[in-house]
Amino acid sequence: MIAYLTNLATLATIFGILAASLNLLIGYAGIFSIAHAVFFGLGAYAGAQLAMLLVPDLLLACLAGGLVAGALSLCLALPALRVRGEYFVAASLGLQMMAVTVFSEAHAVTGGHGGLVGIPLASLLGFDISAPATFLMVCLVVLALMLLVIRLLMRGSFGRGLMAIRDSESAAEAFGKNVARLKTLAVVLGCAMAGVAGVLFAFYMAFVNVESFTLEQSILVMAMVIIGGTATLIGPLVGVLLLLLLPAGLSFLPFIPPTEIGSVQQLIYGLAMALLMIFRPAGLAGQSTGQR
Amino acid sequence: MSAIPLSVRGLDKHFGGLAAVQRVDLDLRPGVTTALVGPNGAGKTTLFNLITGNIVADSGDVLLDGASVRGLRPYEIARRGVARSFQDLRLFGRMSVRDNVLAALEPASWLWQPGGGGARRAREKAVEAALERTGLTAQADARAMDLAYAERKFLSLARILATGARIWLLDEPASGLDPNSRARFVNLVRQAVSEGVTICLIEHNLDIVTELADRIAFLDRGAKLAEGEPQEILSNPQLISIYFGEPR
Amino acid sequence: MLFLQLLLSGIQTGAIYALTAAGFALIFGATRIFHVAHGATFALAGYAFLACSQAGLPWFVGCLAALLIAVGFGLAMDAFIYRPIQRHEGSFFTVFVAAFGMTIAVQSLIEIGFGRGFAVVDTPLTMARAVVPGLYLADIFWVATGVALVLFILVTLFLERTRAGIGLRALSENPELLRAYGLSSRRLSALAFGLGSALAVPGAVLTAATSGLQPAISAQVMLISLAAAVVGGIGSLRGAALAGLLLGVVENLVISAVDTQWSSAAGFVVLFAFILFRPSGLFGQAVTR
Repeated sequence: MIAYLTNLATLATIFGILAASLNLLIGYAGIFSIAHAVFFGLGAYAGAQLAMLLVPDLLLACLAGGLVAGALSLCLALPALRVRGEYFVAASLGLQMMAVTVFSEAHAVTGGHGGLVGIPLASLLGFDISAPATFLMVCLVVLALMLLVIRLLMRGSFGRGLMAIRDSESAAEAFGKNVARLKTLAVVLGCAMAGVAGVLFAFYMAFVNVESFTLEQSILVMAMVIIGGTATLIGPLVGVLLLLLLPAGLSFLPFIPPTEIGSVQQLIYGLAMALLMIFRPAGLAGQSTGQR
Repeated sequence: MSAIPLSVRGLDKHFGGLAAVQRVDLDLRPGVTTALVGPNGAGKTTLFNLITGNIVADSGDVLLDGASVRGLRPYEIARRGVARSFQDLRLFGRMSVRDNVLAALEPASWLWQPGGGGARRAREKAVEAALERTGLTAQADARAMDLAYAERKFLSLARILATGARIWLLDEPASGLDPNSRARFVNLVRQAVSEGVTICLIEHNLDIVTELADRIAFLDRGAKLAEGEPQEILSNPQLISIYFGEPR
Repeated sequence: MLFLQLLLSGIQTGAIYALTAAGFALIFGATRIFHVAHGATFALAGYAFLACSQAGLPWFVGCLAALLIAVGFGLAMDAFIYRPIQRHEGSFFTVFVAAFGMTIAVQSLIEIGFGRGFAVVDTPLTMARAVVPGLYLADIFWVATGVALVLFILVTLFLERTRAGIGLRALSENPELLRAYGLSSRRLSALAFGLGSALAVPGAVLTAATSGLQPAISAQVMLISLAAAVVGGIGSLRGAALAGLLLGVVENLVISAVDTQWSSAAGFVVLFAFILFRPSGLFGQAVTR
C-alpha cells in the first residue's frame, strides 16, 4: 500500500511540474499549446541519454533536459509569434504530430517504438537517490522550486506583461511591451520546465518510449490545467490530483470492467471539460471574481 | 522644427484600392489639444495607427521631436513617449485595475524590471496617483472586466496618465459618458494640457470638441480638408454638411 | 506506374478529406466556431453505418442512420454546448476546449461500445481490378470521387443561389444584412451545423467500407479537417476542399519517396509550413495581425 501511494505521489508530483509549466503558457501567456508532451518527451530523452552515456546525475540531467526542451521550444515560439487563436492551436497540433513521428523513427536517439530501456538509477552529487521515498522527496523539492519561480515571476512585471498580452496584445504593445520577446521567454521557460519534468519521469520509470509523449498525453495535461483552473498557482495541481486519482478511484467501482477503465476515465474527463467550459470556464480553482 | 513633439508629413496609406489616408500633414504642439473631426471612415483611427506604428505607411513620415520613427515597432514608438487609447478600450480584462495601470508602466520586456526597489516604489506611487486622479482608488483590486462602463473608460485614461507620456492619442475617449463623468474627463484632460502634454483626440461629440480642442483638423475620405481654430472650422457650412453626411 | 497508383488512391482519400473538410469550413465560415468535434461527427456516422450493416440492414438504411446521427450530433453541439458558452463568454479557447472534451467523450463511448480495434464493412465495391495492366482500381474509387464531386457542386449551388445559402455566407460578416433579409441567425447557425455535419457522412460511410474505422478516427479526422481548413484558408469552402484533396494526395504520394510511417506526418509538415509562411492559406485573406 505504501509503495502504491508513493508511486502515485511521485507521478502526481512529476505531472504537477508538467501542468504548472503548461499553465505558464496557457493560463498566463494565452499561448494555447497542445504540444506540451513533445517537450516533456525531449527532456525525458535528453536526460535518459545523458544518464546512459555519461553519468546518471539528476542535476546534470535536469540541466540537459531543460536546455534541450528550451532550445527546441523555439519551434513552438515561432508560430506563437506569427499567429494566434485557432491558427496557433493548429500549428501546435502539427508540431505534436510531427514530433511523434520523429520520436518513433529516430531510433538512434529515442530507441523508436521500443524506447530507451535500462536507464541507470538516479544519483545526485554522488548520493544515491533511487529509493522510492527519496526520489519522491527530490521530486517534491523540484516542484516546490518551480512553483516558487512561477509565483515570483507571475507576481512581478514579467507576469503582468504576459497577462497583458493575453488580454489584449495590441494594447500591451501600445504600452511598450516587446510582445515577441515576452512570448518567446514564456515559451522557452514553460517548455524547459516541461523538459525537467521529463527528466524526472525518465529516471523514475527507468524506461521511456514514445507512448508517453503523444497527443493524448498533451491533451491529458491540458485537461489537468483547464479542469483545475488556469492562471492560478494551485489550479493545475488540483487538476493533476483529480485526473490521476480518477483511474485509481474507478478501479474500486465493481461494476466497471477493468479493461474499460481507461475509456471510462476518458469519458469522464472529456465530459468534465465540456461541462466546465459551460458552467465554470475559469476551472475548479479559478475564482470568478478578482484575483489571479 | 524640433520644438514640435509630433509631426506628420505627407502620410499616405492605401488598403487595396481604397485611400485610407492621403498625404496628411499634421503638427501637434505642446499644450495644444488638436481634435480630429470627420465622418465615419474618414481615416481618423487609421491615422492614429500610422502614428503608433501599428500600420506602416505607404509613404510619408512621422517625426517625434524631428526624428523619424518610420519602420519602428509600436512598442518602440510607445517607449518614445507616445501613449494611446482605443475606441474599444482594450483593457487587460482579467487583471486587476491596479495591475492594468502598473503593467503600462513596465516597458522593460524581460523577466524583471531594471532599477530595483527604488524604481519599483516610484512606479507604485505613480499608479496610486493615477488611480486617485481618475477616481478609481476604491476599485483598485477589482478586475477590469467587472467595472462599469464609465469606470472602464477612466481606467483606459489612467493607464495613459500613469505612463507620463508627453503625447496622448485618444480615440473617442468621452463617447458614452454621462454628463457628470464627462465633466470629470474634461477636467482631467485640461489638467494634463496645463502640465504640457500634447493631446490629439478623435471625437464625434462636437460639444466636447469645442470644450477641449484648441485646433481642429477636419478629415474626409482620408484627406485633411481643413485645419484651424474650432470656431472657424465649425462655422464652415461646407464642412458641417460633410460631417453630418448630407448629400453632396 | 506506382506513382499513378498512389496518385489515384490519393485522390480517393483526398475526396473523402475534401468533403469532410468542406463541412468543417462551412460551419466555421458561417458561425466562426472552430468545431473540432467535427471528427466526432464523422466517427459517430461511421459507426452508425457499421452497426446497421452488422445488424443486416440494407446499405441505404445504414446511410440514413449515419446521416441522422451526424446531423443530430451537430445540432446538439450547437444548441447545448456552443450556444450556452457563447451566451456568457465565448472566448475561442473555451469553445475549443468544450468541443475537444466532447470529442474525447464520444471517442471513449465508441471504445466502450465497439472496442478499440479496427472494424470494416465488407462490400464488393472495394474489390480492386486491373484497369490497365499493373494499375488496380476498385469501383469504390468512382463512388468516392463521384459522390464528392456531386455533393460539392450541390453545396456550392445552394450557397450561391438560395436565400438561406446567401444568408449563411453573410452570417459571420454582416449580421445587419441578415436582419434586413428577415433571417434568424440562430436558425442559420443550426442550418450550418446540420449541413456541415451532413457533409461528414459520405466520408464516414466510405471510410467504413474501405480503410475501416477505429475509435481514434475522430481525432484523425479532426486533425485533417483542421489542417485542410487552415491550408485552404479558414472559412473558404473551396480552399478547404482543395486542401483536403491535396492532403490526401500528398499523404499517399509521400509513400513512394519515404517510409509509410512518415506519410501521416507529411500532411502536418504541410500544415506547419503554411501556418508559418502563408497563414492566410490558399484562398483566405490575411487575418494574422
